[in-house]
Order: sequence, then structure tokens, then C-alpha cells
Amino acid sequence: MLSERAYDFGLKAPHLVNRRDITLLTKDIAGVIDLPAEITMIIHAAGSPDNRLHASDPLKVMRTITMGTEALLSSASRLPNLSKILNISSGLIYGSRNTDSREFNSCGQESFSFNNAYIEAKRYAETLCSVYGNQYKLNIINIRPYAFVGPYQLVDRPWAINNFIGDYLNDCPIRILGDGETVRSYMYPSDMSLWILKLLADGHAGQSYNLGNPTPITLKSLAEKIASAMHKKLPVQVKYYQDHSLRNSRFVPDVSKAHNELGLKVTVEIDEALEHTLLWNLSQYNSVKN
Amino acid sequence: MKKLKVAILGSGNIGTDLLVKAQRSPYLECTMFIGRKLASPGMAKANSLGVRISDQSIEAITNNPDCCDLVFDATSAVDHLRHAPILEQLGKLVIDLTPAKVGQICVPAVNLTSCLQYTNVNMVTCGGQASTPLAFAIGKTQQNIDYIEVISSIASRSAGPATRANLDEYISTTESAIRNFSGCRRAKAILNLNPAQPCINMQTTVFAKVENPDLEKLNPVLQEVISTVQKYVPGYQLIVPPTIENGRIVLMVRVLGVGDYLPSYAGNLDIINCAAIAMAEEYAKNNN
Amino acid sequence: MRKVIINDPTLRDGSHAIRHQLTAEQIALYCSAADKAGVPIVEVGHGNGAGASSLQLGESLLSDEVMLSIARNHLKTSKLGIHIIPGFATIERDLSKAIDLGVDVIRVASHCTEADITERHIGYARRRGKEVYGVLMMTHMASKEVLAEEALKMESYGAEGIMLMDSAGAYLPSDVSEKIGVLVNKLNIPVGFHAHNNLGLSIANSLAALEAGAIMLDGCARGFGAGAGNAPIEVLVAVLQKIGYDTGIDLYSILDAADLAEKKILKEIPSIQSTSVVSGLAGVFSGFSIHVNRVAQSYAVDPRDIFFELGRRQVVAGQEDIIIEVASELAAKRGV
Repeated sequence: MLSERAYDFGLKAPHLVNRRDITLLTKDIAGVIDLPAEITMIIHAAGSPDNRLHASDPLKVMRTITMGTEALLSSASRLPNLSKILNISSGLIYGSRNTDSREFNSCGQESFSFNNAYIEAKRYAETLCSVYGNQYKLNIINIRPYAFVGPYQLVDRPWAINNFIGDYLNDCPIRILGDGETVRSYMYPSDMSLWILKLLADGHAGQSYNLGNPTPITLKSLAEKIASAMHKKLPVQVKYYQDHSLRNSRFVPDVSKAHNELGLKVTVEIDEALEHTLLWNLSQYNSVKN
Repeated sequence: MKKLKVAILGSGNIGTDLLVKAQRSPYLECTMFIGRKLASPGMAKANSLGVRISDQSIEAITNNPDCCDLVFDATSAVDHLRHAPILEQLGKLVIDLTPAKVGQICVPAVNLTSCLQYTNVNMVTCGGQASTPLAFAIGKTQQNIDYIEVISSIASRSAGPATRANLDEYISTTESAIRNFSGCRRAKAILNLNPAQPCINMQTTVFAKVENPDLEKLNPVLQEVISTVQKYVPGYQLIVPPTIENGRIVLMVRVLGVGDYLPSYAGNLDIINCAAIAMAEEYAKNNN
Repeated sequence: MRKVIINDPTLRDGSHAIRHQLTAEQIALYCSAADKAGVPIVEVGHGNGAGASSLQLGESLLSDEVMLSIARNHLKTSKLGIHIIPGFATIERDLSKAIDLGVDVIRVASHCTEADITERHIGYARRRGKEVYGVLMMTHMASKEVLAEEALKMESYGAEGIMLMDSAGAYLPSDVSEKIGVLVNKLNIPVGFHAHNNLGLSIANSLAALEAGAIMLDGCARGFGAGAGNAPIEVLVAVLQKIGYDTGIDLYSILDAADLAEKKILKEIPSIQSTSVVSGLAGVFSGFSIHVNRVAQSYAVDPRDIFFELGRRQVVAGQEDIIIEVASELAAKRGV
């Protein structure tokens, strides 16, 4: 595992870093020059999806993604035993959900835009991967992840599901902003990990795969599920304003490619995913309180 | 005159500006410029100056302890908390530019020589460096100082993501330095970011609520302390001399930066670096 | 009927007009009246928000703790809100204590180009389960593109709505339509507007905001607020009723509340003084008025000259100390 902050990861997960079959390399991804020659496969997941960081330090985010991907690919191209690279991109690159298509270019995304720093950097990284793949004959598989819920995911990131979980942990009413008809989907980490490893092993080089749960759920249904999880009976408050239906977006992947080519399926559906997540968060929450 | 060997931990703007200042100093020699990101502009600058660089962070020092005698830590409070005990064990002098506040508060115009006995000193904050000498002068000359308030205005462009994410720490660190060096009962620090173009220079106002304010007593002591600051920060200037306005003492200083690596409007960043260099030079002179 | 959410900062913005000397009785009386009228959110505190009592901005008579406790006790159905500016107020000293006292709504404000300083305060209030809004101040000083970027930052930090403030009272209705329109378009969260009356346009500007898609508005009793005052809440409610918006506020009760404020709280009904006209034109924060007038007298200079110079320097709210520098420079030029 290579990370600039390998030490902090070690503090978070000592049971992993103390394993003899795991080696930690402390390095800034953008400064990678030489990688150990025995490496055969790489999962390139450096970068933060925390949209607060994208707002407060977009330069850092862009540099990590663009310079980091470049440095990694350059080093990887000189590895004697390398067979596969998996690039973790983002489902967001398909475009913003509230665009006026007359305003933006055909990719549906305005590039001269501070708030699109993360998405544009990810798209550049995808192109870079494709170029390296072609020029250096590297086998690169491109993954576009959607949304996830599970243990270890920081609940303070201001996404709807985290807000609901936060309200649940605080025993507050579950508050939905908007009419609740926004549609999302959530994949559990065990499915995510299995899919990633399977795609790494058997995915086709030069192809992009969406990674996520194809089963949609409205925020209203999600809130209701969380509000009544594990014998709690919290009220659900919908705070909606007129014309908000125009704001409703959909972020749900089409995963037919992963399914058809590799037989990948979702095994943990939302109810089970929520139960595991809430239990894990409760145990963290209680240990913090004590 | 043997130069003191210094290492700089932290390859951002502060560290890079420190590098330029250290190389110019007749008392200091920067032997290592250390960060975590080889690809940063600071590293490129250090390299262009022929200074040895490393992206191994604190390990660059633990793996080669003889490389330096003094370390400037311009990383972050969280990182310094980790570095401090390691550097102490290695017997290094440490000048901490983060808000970690592990060691002795150091404001050169006020307590330069007494800091020599400490092996870890911290440089407070930019507002703290600008205002503490003034609060000190008030503390020395006025009676019963109830309350001192410090307001700094800095150019928006000189406040990076780290500053913006740590306003609360800035406020509490500055306030404790003010209380410490003036003996006032209560202190308050305020920070304003102003995006005006062309960029504004750093400006600091000090308000004080004291019993029977005595400006005649204050002025000479103030002049003396300002001259001391100007020895290491030439761009430090009194722009509104002490007056009584609305029942409070008010005075204002402006800090124009030297413009080494950081632009001259970033007097806030310059003053903390100049103060750090002044302290390092004092250590160097003391060694000889 | 379309809904509008009214936030009432009579006991916060109004504080500017009486040098932050609100008494316990005044807070109790007005809160009860506003609660009776069904005002959704009542905002209480120093004119520059929690933790802002200072020599720089003026010291409040009562501590934040006392003001908020009294307000909390006198608001049964209305929510209690605070305004808070990072750089003046800290999480530990000011925000956490306010939340402990029972504040429901937190409006975290920054200068219109500096939204990223609000990240931690917004995050903290969210983690405590409170209703959090982001507020951009002095918004006449930034273009609509920049305002959208900054508002989007606040949205990404978890703000559930954004207030655009015309802190200097500098806007014309067309400015409001344009800027609110862009924000409504780009944000996924609701947008609101806070008007000041320096150019006599507070009601017109508020209506323009609604037409452009805003759904939250600020209004104060008799317009009690900094400088020339805010949009008068009782007039706003009346106008909105006439147009056909549902504010949830009872007209007679809010008129009573305004009468009460006039009798018991206001020293004078806000009017557009000459200095307010100038500060509106110069684009300087309305709250500077009292300080500028006082300092102008001490230094024997024309307060209007001070305002124009402050405007030229593009000072932001919170930079009241610059008034003294400017006045002393003007006095020096005159050879005083």
C-alpha cells in the first residue's frame, strides 16, 4: 500500500499494517519515481472524494489526481512484471445533473469552472490512462464508482445518507432537504471490494466499468428505512419547497457491463447494508462518548 | 564564524520563504529542505539553490541526524506534535511555526534572549508577532490592564487553505500570547480577510482598556519596542500612533513583507518568518 | 399558495442601531411578540453575531449567554437563530455554547469571497444536528459567478440554504434578480435574501429576490437594523399577503410586534440619513455608520468623506478599525 500518510493509516488500521503480507510505502503519489520491481498489479485509488476538500483546496485535489496519475503511470511503465492497472475514476464524470445543455459543451460539463475541479481532473486522468495504455502497451482497466455506504465511511461528509445516519445517531428526526424524490443507490463495501478485485483480475483492458448498486432508492425511502432501523422509531421530516422537483437528480449506475462480462452481482442490498453500517457507527459513537 | 546548520521541515510557501532567508543569513546554512511532496514548487526552488532536498519528512532527519543542529518546523500542528519528541530525543533545537504550542512562546522583540534556554520555541501566529510587542509595551507602562483586543487584516490571497481551516486555533494562540506578555485580564483576537485588489498589506490594530491610560508613558517604550521589531522586520511601521478614542487606547501598525519568496503584501507570513530567523540567528550567535 | 420563510433579525441586526445595548426586558418582550405572530425564526445576538462583542465592533450590554437564554425562554414555537462569523467567533468559545443553550438555527457568515472559512463552523453545527445556513455578506462586492462558486462551497460543506446579504444596502432590484437568479440556478439548496434600506429599496429588492426564485427573506420590526435599517418585517408581511405568498405570520400580531418594538426598543425609527445614502453608494457596510459618525466628530472631518474613502479601499465588514486610520489621514491632509 502506497500513501503519503501511511503512518496515519497505520493508526487507523493496525490490524492491517502489522500483517507480514502487507508492506507500507510512504510516498506522495505525485513524487513516485521507482516502484518495487516485484509489483504485478496496481489499484490506483489515490485521491479524495470528499467534496468539502474539493471546495476548500481544489488545487491540492487536482494536483493529486493529475500529477499523481502521471507519476504512477510513468513509474508503472518501467515495471518488469506488471500485468494490470486498475484506475479508480468516478461516476461523476458522466456529467452534472442540472445542466442546461445549451450552455455547456457536448460532454455536459463546463470546464472553466472552479466547482468542477474534481470531475475535470478525473476526466483528464482517464484520458492519461488511455494514452499510457496505448503508448506503453499497459493493460489499464477504468472503474467509475458511484455511491457507497458502510463501515469506515466518515459520516460527517455532507451527503444525504450521512446526514440521515447522523440524525439517527443523535436520535433526532431524520430531515430530508427537498421533496425526497432524488434518486440514489448505495453499494456495500464487501461487494465493492469483490467487484474491484474481480475487475482487476478479469476485467478487459481499455474498458470502463461502472461500480455501484443498480437498484435505485429515493431519499425519502432511504430516510424512512433509517428512521425505523433496529427498533428506533424516529420521525421523518421533509423540508421541501415549491419547484424543488426540478432539482431532483439521479445517480444510479448501469452495471450491465460488469454483470454480463464478469457475472458480477450485488449481494448486500440496502436493508442489510444499512443495518451493518448503523451498528458499526453506533459502536464507534459509543466508544467516543465513553 | 561557524554557521549553524538548519533543516527546514515543510516545503510549502512558508518553508520556501524561510529557505531564501536562511541562505541569506550570515549565521545560518540550510543543509536540508524536507517535505512530503517532491513535486512541489518549494522543492524545485531548493534544488535550484543547490540545497539538498528530501521527501522523507521527519525520517530524513532520523536517518541522518548529523545533517543539522536546528530544525524549522513549518508543517502542521498535528505533524509537529509527532515531530517534537523525536527531535528532542535527537537533541535538536526546534523552531515551531505551527500552532502546536509545544514549547516556549517566542516573540523576539520581547523575549529573544530568554528563549535561548529552551530547545523548542513556537512562533505564535502572524497576528501574534505583530501585536505582542505592542501589547507588551502597554503591559509595561499602563495600570490595571483589563482587556486587550487585536485585529489583523490580511490580503485574502495571502491566506491559504491551511490558514482558513485553522482560524479558531489562530485566535486562541494569539490570545494566549497577548495575555502572557501583557498581563491583561482578558484578550481577544480577530482576523479579517480582505480580497481587495491590489492586495492590501497586513495591518494590525491594538485596542486596550486600561485604568487611567497614560500615553506619555507609553510612547517611548512603544518606540523602543517598535525599533527592536524593525531590526528583524524592516517593513514594520506604526501608522496610527497611540490615541484615546471612545475610552480606549488605539494604535495601528502595518507590516510590509520583504518579498523573498512570498510577495510583499504577505507581511503576515513574512513577519513570522523573520521572527523565526531572528531566533535561529540568536541560537547561532550563542553557540559561538 | 407559495411559501416564503421569514427570518427576523430584529434583535440582532437591530443591535447595531443601539450600539448593542439590548436589555433583558427588550429581548423578552420582542421574542414573546414575535412568537405570538408566528415568525418562523427569530435571530438574537450582537449585531455581528455570536462572539462578536468587542472593542472593534462595540461591546454588548449582555453576554451572548444571557441574551440567548432569555430568548430561548420566550420562544415557544418560533425557532431561535444566531448569526456567526468565523474569525470573530470560535467553535469552542461561542458556537458550542450557543448550541448548548438551545439555539435551533445557525447562520454561518463570511465575506462574499471567503466562504471556505465557514467549513468548520458549518460542519460542527451539522454534527450537533442543527439547521445550518451559509451566509454571504457584502455581496455587492462580488460578481454573480464568484458568488455562485462561494455559495457552492458552502453547499458542499453541508449548508442547507444560502442567504445573500446586501449588507451595504447597495443593490438595485435588477442586481438582486441577476444574482439570486444565478444562485437559484446553480445550487441544489434554497436561496434567501437579506435587504438593507440605504437606497430606499429594501422591499422592492426583497420582492425581486422572490421573483428570481428565493424562498427566504429577512425582515426586522420597523426595519430596525444597521445604518438605514432592513426591510421592515410588518410591511414585508403585508406586501407578501397582498401578492399571495404564505408567510405563516399573522398580520395583526406582527403589526403589534412592530408597534411594541417602536415603543420599547427603538431609539428612533430607522430612516435614511445622509451618511446612509453615502455608505450605500460607496458600498460600505451599513453597520459602520455609528462608528464613522463618532470618529468623524473626534477628528473633525466629514463622515461622508470617510465613507467614500472606505469604499475606495473596499473594506469589508469587521474592519471598523480602518475608520480611525482613514479619519486620521483625512485630518492630516487638512493640516489639523
